[in-house]
Amino acid sequence: MTAADAVAGERSQLTIPPRPRTWPRAAAIVAALAAFTILTTIPAIGGVELDFASIARNWTNGADRIVQMLTPDWSILPRTWQPLLETLEMALVDAAISAVLAVPLSLWAARPTNPNGVARRAVRFVLNVVRAVPDLVYATVLVAMVGVGTLPGIITLVLFDIGIVVKLVSEAIDSADAHYMEAGRAAGGTQTQINRVTALPQSWPAIASQVLYSLELNVRISAILGLVGAGGIGRLIDEMRGFYRYDALGTIVLEILVVVIAIEVASNLLRKRLR
Amino acid sequence: MTATTTEPAQPTPASALAIPPKPRRVAARIASWAVTAVILLAFWDIDLEWDKVAQLPSDLVHYSALMFSSPDWSMLGEAALQTWRSVSMAWIGAILGVVLSTLLGIPAAQGVGPVWVRLPLRWIFAVIRAMPEVLIAIIILTVTGLTPFTGALALAIGGIGTHAKWTYETIEAVPPGTAEAVRASGGSLTEVIRWGLWPVAAPELMSLALYRFEINVRTSAILGLIGVGGIGAMLTNYTQFRQWDTVGVLIIVVIVVTMIIDAISGAIRRRIMEGAKVRGVERIH
Repeated sequence: MTAADAVAGERSQLTIPPRPRTWPRAAAIVAALAAFTILTTIPAIGGVELDFASIARNWTNGADRIVQMLTPDWSILPRTWQPLLETLEMALVDAAISAVLAVPLSLWAARPTNPNGVARRAVRFVLNVVRAVPDLVYATVLVAMVGVGTLPGIITLVLFDIGIVVKLVSEAIDSADAHYMEAGRAAGGTQTQINRVTALPQSWPAIASQVLYSLELNVRISAILGLVGAGGIGRLIDEMRGFYRYDALGTIVLEILVVVIAIEVASNLLRKRLR
Repeated sequence: MTATTTEPAQPTPASALAIPPKPRRVAARIASWAVTAVILLAFWDIDLEWDKVAQLPSDLVHYSALMFSSPDWSMLGEAALQTWRSVSMAWIGAILGVVLSTLLGIPAAQGVGPVWVRLPLRWIFAVIRAMPEVLIAIIILTVTGLTPFTGALALAIGGIGTHAKWTYETIEAVPPGTAEAVRASGGSLTEVIRWGLWPVAAPELMSLALYRFEINVRTSAILGLIGVGGIGAMLTNYTQFRQWDTVGVLIIVVIVVTMIIDAISGAIRRRIMEGAKVRGVERIH
C-alpha cells in the first residue's frame, strides 16, 4: 500500500463532525427560567403561593359551579336582550370611531407615509403607552371620573382599538410594496398627495380587516366592562354573580358564545372577500 | 387579422386612451349603505349622555392634574410588591397554560388526532374563548379562595382557549415533508410528533409562549378587580377611595412595567424567530 492510497482511504471515510456543544447554553437558559419561576413562587416577596393541595381538597366546589352553569336557567333570557344590545352597539360604535381615528394615526406611525422621524416616533411612543394600560384599568379609572354608564366603556374600547389597529396597520404599511409611493414622489407629489393617492388605497384592506378584528375583540371585552359599571351585559353578569345565580351565568355565557362565534364567522367571510 | 384586433395597433389618436367604464358594484354599494345605516342606528340608539361628552375634556384635564401633578411616591414600595405579585401570577399562569395548551393543542391539529378527538377539543377551546377570564376566576375562587394562585389558575385555564388554538394552527402550518419522512421510515405517531413536527414548530411555539406571558401581564391587572390581589386590586381600591395621587403612581407603574416586559420579551422573541445576528458571512474557507 502506497502512501497515496492511505491518504485516499482516509479521505473516503465519512467522519462525522463532532456535535456542537450546545448544552452549556441550554443549561444556562433552563437555570435562568427556573430561577425566575422560583422567584415568582415566594409569597414573602409578593409571589404566588402554589397551593395544589387546596385543589385536591376543594375541587368539588368548582365542579358544582360548573354543573350549575351547565344547566342554564333560560328564564333569564328576556332580561338579557337589552344589555346584550347595548354591548353590541358599544362594540359597533367603538369600531366605527376607532376606524375613523386609526386612518390618519396609522399613516403617521408608518415609515413610508411619514418620513419625519421625530413625529413618527412620538406617535408610536404615545400609542405604546396607550396599549400598555389594560382595558379594565381604563374602565375603572374612567368610571370614577365620569360616572357609571356607557361613556367610560366607549372611551375604553376606543383607546384599546386604536392601540391595536394602528399598530397592525402601520406595520402592514411598513412592509408593503413602496414602489407606488416612489412613482408618486417621482411625479412630484407632496407627501400628503402621495399618501392619499397611493398609500391609502393600498392599505384599505388591512385597515378594514383589523377593524373587523377589533370588532370581535370589542364584543368580548364589552361583555366584562359592565363589571366595573361601564355598561353592557357585564352589569348583568355582576348582578348574577352577586346572587350566586350560576345557572343564569351559564345562560349569559352561552349567549355571549353564540354572538361571538356569529361575529367571528361573519368577519372571516368578509375578510376573505377583502383579500 | 380582423379589423377589430388591428385597430389598437394603429396609431390613431381617437383610439388612444379610451378609459373603460367604471365597474358598477351595486351589491358592494348596497352593503356599504346598510353598514352605514346600522352604525348610525347604533349611535342614535345607544344611551350616551351627550352633556357628559361635552364635559369630558375638562374632566380629563382636571383628573389628570389630580393624578399626575403631585403623585404620592411613598406608595412606590407597596406598588412594587403588588406588581411583582401580578407578574408572578402572569408567569405561573403562562407556564401552566402553555403546558396545558400544548398537551391539548397538538392532538387537536389536523393530521395528528382523529376527528372524534379534534372536534370536541376545538369546541372546548371555543367555549373557553367566549368565557371572560373574570368569570373563570369566579368559578376557581370557590376552590382555592381569594389568593394569587386563583389568579394564576384563571390565567392558565383562560389562556387555553386562544393558546391551544394557536398551537394547533402552528402545528398545521408545519410543511408536511418532515412528518412524512418520519412516517415513511416507520415512525409511530409519537415519533412523528417528536421528530417531525416538534423541531419545526418549537421556535414559533416558544415565541407564542412568551407572547402569552405578555398578554397575561395585562390580564392579571384585570383579575385584581375581583380581589385575587396584585396591582389591579390595589388600583381598584385606591380608585374607589378616590385617592388620585396614589392612582397616578399606580398607573405610571403599570405602564412602565408593562412596557419593560414587552421590550424584553419582544427582544427574546425576535432572537428565537430570526436567530442570532449573522457574523462573518464573507468568510468562505
